Amino acid sequence: MSAVQPGDTIPPWTMADVDPQRMKTMAAVLRDPYPVHWDRSAVASLGLGERVINQGPLNLSYLANMLMAWQGPTSVRRLTVSFGPPVLDHDHVVATGSVVSVDEVDGARLATCELALERDGRAVVSGTAVVELS
Amino acid sequence: MTEDELAALVGHRFPGGTRTIEHWENWLLTDCTGREQLPDGLVHPIALFHVPIQGAGTSIAELFELGQVEGAGSVGLDGYDWEYFQPLREELEYRFDGGVVETERCRTDAGAEYDRFVFSIELSDPGGEPVARITNHWRLRR
Repeated sequence: MSAVQPGDTIPPWTMADVDPQRMKTMAAVLRDPYPVHWDRSAVASLGLGERVINQGPLNLSYLANMLMAWQGPTSVRRLTVSFGPPVLDHDHVVATGSVVSVDEVDGARLATCELALERDGRAVVSGTAVVELS
Repeated sequence: MTEDELAALVGHRFPGGTRTIEHWENWLLTDCTGREQLPDGLVHPIALFHVPIQGAGTSIAELFELGQVEGAGSVGLDGYDWEYFQPLREELEYRFDGGVVETERCRTDAGAEYDRFVFSIELSDPGGEPVARITNHWRLRR
């Protein structure tokens, strides 16, 4: 593998179909009582149609999956994100990222990266990550 | 909730406690993210949402009560800042401590009132070494 450098693009990671069944499992594990993740009528009451809203941590997980596929399962050192419009069931989203800088810290090579989770080319989550390079 | 009541939440400490991430829980979480399972008992980074909340002795429902919000549309996510000092592993008993670190009454450009509600929780391993720290920024709509 060639050395990672600023400007490099991280191979994207795609969630082709956000699955409402996974949101239900997630809500149960999280003990999350917020109905917008599992009750379509609750979402409809907000005027957002009848598609349930993906949990924020699941949106973040797609970015983490991209980083782990790129540099390994213990590479993620920091995730800092802000959330935009909600991701809804059956959305197609793509995690994307690029390297901003590479620094040597205590013997480790750390890449600071810009991240975005995109739907139809527009960011629904954006932020930065620090990743230890393998 | 008055502005004074909101401000008084800063400094509120969660009970604190210990918690283990079990294999079944990590397996389901990882499956929900749409990727294959991680090797060697590694925990998916997504666990840093609910595990610290539960490990610190509170819950999502209790946090909603603390912020005096309920119902669909009452809570939004502004952002997360999750720091990993060590990889998380299944079946290790971690220590959790944290509380509310910041609140602020705000208005949107359209004039709607909401409150910023920020809490932070630190994880440490059985030897007392820091493992992770999360700082979550929520938006409580009024």
